[in-house]
Amino acid sequence: MAVFELRTPLSPEERAEKRKLILRDAVALATILVVTIVLAVLTYLLFTSFTHHREVLAQRWKANGERAMRLRKPANAVQALRSALDYAPERRDIEIELAMALAADNRPLEATAYFNSLLETQPGNGLIHLQLARLAARDNKPAEAEEHYQRALDGTWEGDGYVRRREVRLELSRYLISQKDYPRAQAELRTAAGNAPKDPGLQLHIAGLMEQAQDPADALAIYRDQARLRSAPLEAFEGAGRTAYALGHITVAREALLRAIRHRGFSDQPDSEQNPIRQMFANSNRILDLYPDPDLTVRTRAGRIQYNAKTARARLTTCLANPNAAVKLAPLQTQWQQLPRLTIGALERNPQLEQTTMALVYSTEKQTAQDCGVPTGDDAILLKLAQAPQAVQD
Amino acid sequence: MIQQKLRSPFAVRNFIRRLFDRSFLANGYKAAASLGVSKLAPTRDERLFLVLSIFIGVISGLLVVSFNIAIEWIKILTLGSAPHAGQYRLIFVPALGGIVAAVLVYFFPGSRGSGVNQTKAALYVYNGYISFRTVIGKFIISSIAIGTGHSLGPEDPSLQIGAGVASIIARKFGMSRQRLRVFAPIGAAAGLAAAFNAPISAILFVIEEVIGQWSAAVLGSIVLAAISSVVVERRFLGAAPIFSIPTVTFRNTRELFAYAVLGIFGGLFAVVFSRALGYLRMRLRALPRWTQFAQPATAGLLVGLIGYFGFYQVMGRGYGSIDQAMHGEFAWKFLLALAVLKLVATTLSYSSGTPGGMFAPTLFIGAMLGAGVGSFEKIFFPHLTGTVGSYALVGMGVLFAGFLRVPLTSVFMVLEVGGNYGIIVPVILANTIAYLIARSLQPVPIFEMFARQDGLELPSLEEQREETPLHIEDALEPLSVPIVQGREAISAASAAVAATRAHALLVQIHDGTWYAMTADELTGAAAALAPETPIEQALKPDRLPTLFPDLPLDNALPFFPRWPVIPIVNRASRGTLEGIVTLNAILKRYQSE
Repeated sequence: MAVFELRTPLSPEERAEKRKLILRDAVALATILVVTIVLAVLTYLLFTSFTHHREVLAQRWKANGERAMRLRKPANAVQALRSALDYAPERRDIEIELAMALAADNRPLEATAYFNSLLETQPGNGLIHLQLARLAARDNKPAEAEEHYQRALDGTWEGDGYVRRREVRLELSRYLISQKDYPRAQAELRTAAGNAPKDPGLQLHIAGLMEQAQDPADALAIYRDQARLRSAPLEAFEGAGRTAYALGHITVAREALLRAIRHRGFSDQPDSEQNPIRQMFANSNRILDLYPDPDLTVRTRAGRIQYNAKTARARLTTCLANPNAAVKLAPLQTQWQQLPRLTIGALERNPQLEQTTMALVYSTEKQTAQDCGVPTGDDAILLKLAQAPQAVQD
Repeated sequence: MIQQKLRSPFAVRNFIRRLFDRSFLANGYKAAASLGVSKLAPTRDERLFLVLSIFIGVISGLLVVSFNIAIEWIKILTLGSAPHAGQYRLIFVPALGGIVAAVLVYFFPGSRGSGVNQTKAALYVYNGYISFRTVIGKFIISSIAIGTGHSLGPEDPSLQIGAGVASIIARKFGMSRQRLRVFAPIGAAAGLAAAFNAPISAILFVIEEVIGQWSAAVLGSIVLAAISSVVVERRFLGAAPIFSIPTVTFRNTRELFAYAVLGIFGGLFAVVFSRALGYLRMRLRALPRWTQFAQPATAGLLVGLIGYFGFYQVMGRGYGSIDQAMHGEFAWKFLLALAVLKLVATTLSYSSGTPGGMFAPTLFIGAMLGAGVGSFEKIFFPHLTGTVGSYALVGMGVLFAGFLRVPLTSVFMVLEVGGNYGIIVPVILANTIAYLIARSLQPVPIFEMFARQDGLELPSLEEQREETPLHIEDALEPLSVPIVQGREAISAASAAVAATRAHALLVQIHDGTWYAMTADELTGAAAALAPETPIEQALKPDRLPTLFPDLPLDNALPFFPRWPVIPIVNRASRGTLEGIVTLNAILKRYQSE
């Protein structure tokens, strides 16, 4: 009872006024609700129109930026892409393009900072890792560069990830070659070659990189595959000749180089490219002329050995005139002196003498090349032969 | 008829005033008010309070979204979609914007200034009244000024727009004057939260700067409104922070030296900024009235020239440039140049009376300063520093603390915008240094300085920090009156009083409560009742209040006409007296302050 006594009862007039008050509050709340809805609709329309306008502007500036990049004007691209980002701040693709433009504009610190912040939101993005790898490579940070290259290989890619990863692998290989890390470069290139389609251009590119990575054997295998094609490209013959020659496979080299020289595209090349091939072909011919091929007749082979011995001894005699070299070459001279007289008949009769003589020829050419400078003429040919005498006919 | 009325600018002004002063709801609450709403519906205001807080938040959020779109659209239309140095339009567009702003300010005089002090004045001087006309004026003029390149920000105007919305709604619901006052900060928090996309910072700022005191009464509504507005804002503009925050790290404690250096620079910059604004604003306001039409245009021209000659980043809000600075896209010399030129440009724009806020410029200067210091240290002390973005972010907080003098907001703002609590130690260190330097070199905070220039004295938390509040323990006296138990006889109590010659005595009643009886009251009881009567039976029904030593001293004052002394009890044991307070002791303590 006490609770009710606290409140003074309302008079009829007050009760009517209270009802009016409740009604007015209800009307006011309804009004404010309507106002809110109207305002929301207006804001939505304004926002939609504005968003569309921003998208148009973003697209326009993005296109301008991309055009500037194609025209190799990175400074203009940076400005345009920044404008694009103003209107599309959430667009990661524009952010990446901006960071790439910054890198192209020779602003590696800004670009790196940008890419790193992008990486926070997209830690597995292959493209961002690739760009960071390039920046690290440019900054001469090999460990960082290789790590980002590896993450780019493992990362996600938009579009054809298979192709993009292969491109990254080839880029990594080029970087490793530039760092003279040939074993790792060779391994990457072997992987790339194994996964690559049979596109001749791509195969030849990989083979070229293998040559740079000091892997002529694998390169030769690719070149020979390409050379077997029906309309094989000139590069395949040239590459096959070059790598076979480097490996000492002179017979193969001579054949490939001959086909290269006979290729219709060969004469279209500048002399600077033709001449090495022609020289290599001439050397190959000469090597095969001097090589004591076991399949030759005994007399012909003995004649070649006699000639090679004469050439090597002459080279040794010339070298012995140099007092510095004379001491080192003295054992060789002794060996030559211990040989019996090298007549055709003696060589024909004694196959052991043939082998001993040719071994001494190869040793002489190698030793004199070290002590008396680069040989010329047939000495150079014999030196080349000395490097892999067993491989000539492989 | 209307044409006749609009013959002169004054007529136009009056017409607009009448137009906007008409309420969209009839003044139907007047009758209810005359009968006493509190009597008709005692819980009405409380119930409406929370519902209206949500409406205020939603409407403020919608208006702030539209406001930001308006600014951006005006910028694109006037300065182009990609303004850059060397464009002639950079010179004349801000000047034209200044002319338009000056003319419009004439019709919307309440829209002058940033909006923070105006909201504060509405709260403390005008009973929470912010007119609809002010809200409209603030929206239009600020968007034109900022959109055309004046070096001002949208956050403070958003705060005032929100406060205005709250004030209008509260008035239309016929809220009491006391409630009306409380609504303005609710709307202010909603407006600022939407502008910042950072509700915690907005709430703290409103408490630190607008209300000027910690008030639990409105906290719930402020939070509700701020959250509602942020939800609306994020629905349209997305949940991402207003800046694109890069990786923020704090790796090495040695970096704290670098952050301390940033704090020192920030504090000094804040002082220079405050003094420049205080000086130029006062000088420009002292000029003849007609020059006020030319001042925004002149400021716009000068700001435009800064932009034209290679520093267009200082124009407008500058959010994009803050992003770029955070991502380390500028060299340290350029960053410091931008910080200095933004300071100059903002001083010009704001002092000229162009409506617009100072939050964005403060953040801009702080970010440039932070990124500049970070970049410098990165070059010369590469092992000492973290990312430039971290420094830029801390730099924003540093200037916020030093210039706006809101240390708590500055810390939370950095953490909320950065979304990373890992840098809390550098933030607190740098902000504290900047705050202390700024406070010692420039004792009057910037908003207080503006208020004084406008002839207003508004309270602030900064003011409270200077005060040392008195507590009951400061006026506490040793027990000088006798204590008797309630069951003791009146005669025993009389004997105790007579023995001590005290003017009163304290009676401890069996239920643990106390009663202070004057000597006269005791004499009356002794005359009316038998001497052996327990003194409890002579007491009046009311009892002494329970007061503790740590309570504010003024808590004791209201009880003094009734009680001769008040016992102060121990919080751990209510039966234990710490001492007593008397009116004389309290007054002496206040007089000695």
